[in-house]
Amino acid sequence: MSSGESTEVDDAVYDPIFLNSRREALVIFSVWAVALVWAVPYCYFNGYSALSDSSSVETVWGIPSWVFWGIFAPWLIADIFTTWFCFCYMADDELGEAHEGADIAEDIAASTAAEAEGDDE
Amino acid sequence: MNSSVILAEGQSNAALLTFLFYTLAVFGLAAVSNALLKSKSFLSEYFLGSRSLGVWAFALTFAATSSSGGSFTGFPSKIYMHGWVLALWIGSYMVVPICTMGLLGKRLNQVARISGSITVPDVIRDRFQSPAFGLLAVMLIVFFMSFNLVAQFKAGSLILNTLLLDVEPFQNSAETFGRFTEGITYLQGVDSQYLLCLLTFGVAVIVYTTYGGFHAVVWTDVLQGVVMIIGVLILLPLALSQVGGLEQATRQMANMTPPKNGTANLVRYGLSSTGRLVVPSGTWLQITDGEGDLPRLFRTAQEAVISESETQANDIKILEITTPEEIRRLTGGESAVEFFEGVNLVQPSMTPYAYGADAEQRGSYVTGPGPSPTDAVGFLPLSLAFSFFFMWAISGSGQPSNMVRLMAFRNTSTLRRAIFTVAIYYSAIYLSLVIIFCCARVLLPGMDAESDRIMPAMAVHLTTGAGMPWLAGLLVAAPFAAVMSTVDSFLLMISSALVRDIYQRNLNPQASEKTLRRMSYLCTLIVGTVAMVGAVNPPQFLQDIIVYVGSGLAACFLAPMVFALYWPRANLPGCMSGMLAGFGAHLSMYVAGAFVNESFFRPYRLLNFDPIIIGLCTSFLAVFVVTKMTPPPPRHLVEKYFHKQSSS
Repeated sequence: MSSGESTEVDDAVYDPIFLNSRREALVIFSVWAVALVWAVPYCYFNGYSALSDSSSVETVWGIPSWVFWGIFAPWLIADIFTTWFCFCYMADDELGEAHEGADIAEDIAASTAAEAEGDDE
Repeated sequence: MNSSVILAEGQSNAALLTFLFYTLAVFGLAAVSNALLKSKSFLSEYFLGSRSLGVWAFALTFAATSSSGGSFTGFPSKIYMHGWVLALWIGSYMVVPICTMGLLGKRLNQVARISGSITVPDVIRDRFQSPAFGLLAVMLIVFFMSFNLVAQFKAGSLILNTLLLDVEPFQNSAETFGRFTEGITYLQGVDSQYLLCLLTFGVAVIVYTTYGGFHAVVWTDVLQGVVMIIGVLILLPLALSQVGGLEQATRQMANMTPPKNGTANLVRYGLSSTGRLVVPSGTWLQITDGEGDLPRLFRTAQEAVISESETQANDIKILEITTPEEIRRLTGGESAVEFFEGVNLVQPSMTPYAYGADAEQRGSYVTGPGPSPTDAVGFLPLSLAFSFFFMWAISGSGQPSNMVRLMAFRNTSTLRRAIFTVAIYYSAIYLSLVIIFCCARVLLPGMDAESDRIMPAMAVHLTTGAGMPWLAGLLVAAPFAAVMSTVDSFLLMISSALVRDIYQRNLNPQASEKTLRRMSYLCTLIVGTVAMVGAVNPPQFLQDIIVYVGSGLAACFLAPMVFALYWPRANLPGCMSGMLAGFGAHLSMYVAGAFVNESFFRPYRLLNFDPIIIGLCTSFLAVFVVTKMTPPPPRHLVEKYFHKQSSS
């Protein structure tokens, strides 16, 4: 998601972890959208009609074929994609040291400043 | 055969031993975790495990926390009731690991490190430097999670009750316990077995969570995650072999028609004509009309008691099997069931399923939208299929209990490997569950009225069939483990919201480590105890509360968090209004349901979409529009969270 403000600033000033995370998030969201666009319509068009007779159910390895091609096979592909994404695509960014207590220190500094301001007045 | 009887035959004391062994292991892990608390910054360790989770701990705590008791009670029940369409219902789990961990994981972890945040409200407060926004997040978390905690306590107790049902030492203890509690007004009318299970479950979870903190929760999650996968992987081959192969099961399901539900009178006859007569729930009865015709086959769905002075029990809930092949199988041959002697079933008044009973809906267990007793459009119409695909993957990313785990992993490499691990784990669990409980439809017919117990009933049936009834205890421990891992996480989240977000950050920032330690122990203990007491007389609609809370939290938290992490222009008014708008839109669908559908827990479905879709769309839109209408955020905040940091 890019913003009006971000176009005013060169990407070079942005933290690479932020840029990498945003790029990866967009890829993940796209994969979810592809999975949705395949699975739900495929199952609907191939699996949402009653059987002409009970022996007419088509199966693949005992699974109704609309479930196999609509869910099980894409699931396998999604796992393969996830494997590629995790081991080949996702950047191995250094997340940095945790600034434990930094927020509390800011809270204390802010309350001290507020008290000092009150005293001045 | 009655499932209670099945359980009684198979479980013996194995379940009790399994439970005791399991509880001891959990306490052991808590003790080790407590030792860690002494060597590190207390709050960061107690509520976030010092951001040091490795691959297995992170992956399995994430997976186990997300898979609540619903995965092993509600989900199998739904598969049993509605058939193969549940594969589509759960289909988005193919991308759930990468979505729920990958969408926010790396960035959230980084932002939490920059600010030193320990909790989700911490992140929100620090990102916008707004105590008010932080408090709003705290209030929403406490509001939603308190309801959920009570519901999960009840779920855990019910599963433990099922696990220990008919174990003699447990029955004796429950009887003794009942005598102790009969004088207490608040506990009157509460089943003593349920009460004992609640106390045992509650004390176990509260003690190990309070004592061990986040690491105890994570390590027990790992143990619970392992128990869950072992249980499923044992059940799968047993189910396939006993049903005669998946092809056979699917063909039989294609022949099935849904049962009819209704009521009938039970009239005593013959030897049972005197004395009190109890006809247990799950009893098989038949009406034979004439020679050559198939009998009408019924199963009671509630216990019927005919007192000494009466000859019949009226309006007893029953269901009628309607598939001719099943009736033949159950009334003759090796699979024949035992019929109850001593009562006749008269004047049955039956109602067919709203979807699945007609000839033009043939094969409803192997096609969409699946049979439904109440909805004429079937169980999973197209709009709901879209909603669920949206719900699991996208709203799962918006759960604060997931977010806090995303703040706890050690480094990016851990995240990458954990996403992969959870993807494989979920594939093994959920695809197997669909297959196992489709087989259950064939192996254990007539359990529609008590389908919530299909998991333990199936575990006992399969292990008894395989000549290993002792294994049932281990298998039934899986759903118990799932609930426990969810409860401990919620407990710690509420406790952290109170200690860190309210006490330390708003009331006493300079509180000493010793004070915070005492407060943390005390809060976890009190929150857990209050939830346990609330679960003595819990509200109804257990599953509905869990759904309401899960979707409500996502509607409140997902959009503000996504914009806060990925949009430098995001500002306080925009994200705060997005949180409130998501809460309001989601709640309004439930309130509208109270008027339109006459029940708060049957929400109004705008354009036939689930309230989560409405809540999320409103929330995302609100953040974007309000942000655009209001001034940009302070420059120093953008630089702190989005710009390259200087090397110093």
